Amino acid sequence: MNPEEINMTETESLQLITSMINKAKNRISETGLLYLLWGWLILICCVVQFVSIHYFNYPRAYYIWYSTWLLLIYQFFYLRKRKRNRKVKVYTSEIIGFVWVVFIITYALLVFILVYIKATAGINPAILVTYGMPTFLSGIILKFRPLIIGGICCWLLAIASPFAGYDYQFLLMAFAVIAAWIIPGYLLKEKFKKENKN
Amino acid sequence: MDFKELDPVLHSQLRLAVISLLISVKEAEFTFLKEKTNATAGNLSVQINKLKDAGYIDIIKQFNNNYPQTICKINSKGITAFENYVKALQSYITL
Repeated sequence: MNPEEINMTETESLQLITSMINKAKNRISETGLLYLLWGWLILICCVVQFVSIHYFNYPRAYYIWYSTWLLLIYQFFYLRKRKRNRKVKVYTSEIIGFVWVVFIITYALLVFILVYIKATAGINPAILVTYGMPTFLSGIILKFRPLIIGGICCWLLAIASPFAGYDYQFLLMAFAVIAAWIIPGYLLKEKFKKENKN
Repeated sequence: MDFKELDPVLHSQLRLAVISLLISVKEAEFTFLKEKTNATAGNLSVQINKLKDAGYIDIIKQFNNNYPQTICKINSKGITAFENYVKALQSYITL
């Protein structure tokens, strides 16, 4: 008898459906690698800029931010490779991708407007405000609490940012990166390792 | 009591497993379905084609790095059939 044509009872059918849905659902494809790479790079940029402005009164340290272009190039090739090797496409990763696209567009437009109206002092607080959004939403979509907390931390630091000096705003951003990228990144890495071991 | 008839296309272990996997994801490669269902490639291929003939799934054949790749995706007819199948199951179970 063909094993595929075995008569199933209604309960067996429901059990099979549940088990298959769980098998598909439990697949965590987020390794945390990009969170960690971006987290550490932005943290270094923020600390370098804070130290150079605060201790050396050297305002041109913003050149260090050009290093993000290198990571963007790496990310492009990394995501292309990951897309090729992917065996399954889930709705969550697609939605998260769009959430980050929305963040980049919103942030770019905001910077353009702030520069245009000569309100550049608002750029750093604007990062903290907008940055909370993709982090919080990624946490909700992935059902991953550390990202939700990271998003809330960004908003709390955003409240503090108008009261901090320009140099200290980089420290606030450094804290935001630790809360929203580095800590969740390590926890995602652990979760990925644990769930893909089984 | 109103008993709904169970769709014979879906009332088969492997075909139901495939549809249940596809309902949870946007699209899946043949190798993913094989890995999750523990089926043989030949049998899985036959059952997938039955689902395709019933109009429940779409199959995309393409090349990835010079290797053939088969991608399966549930369509709206398949989603409706799955929903009706689950409703029919419930009519039996909630007796």
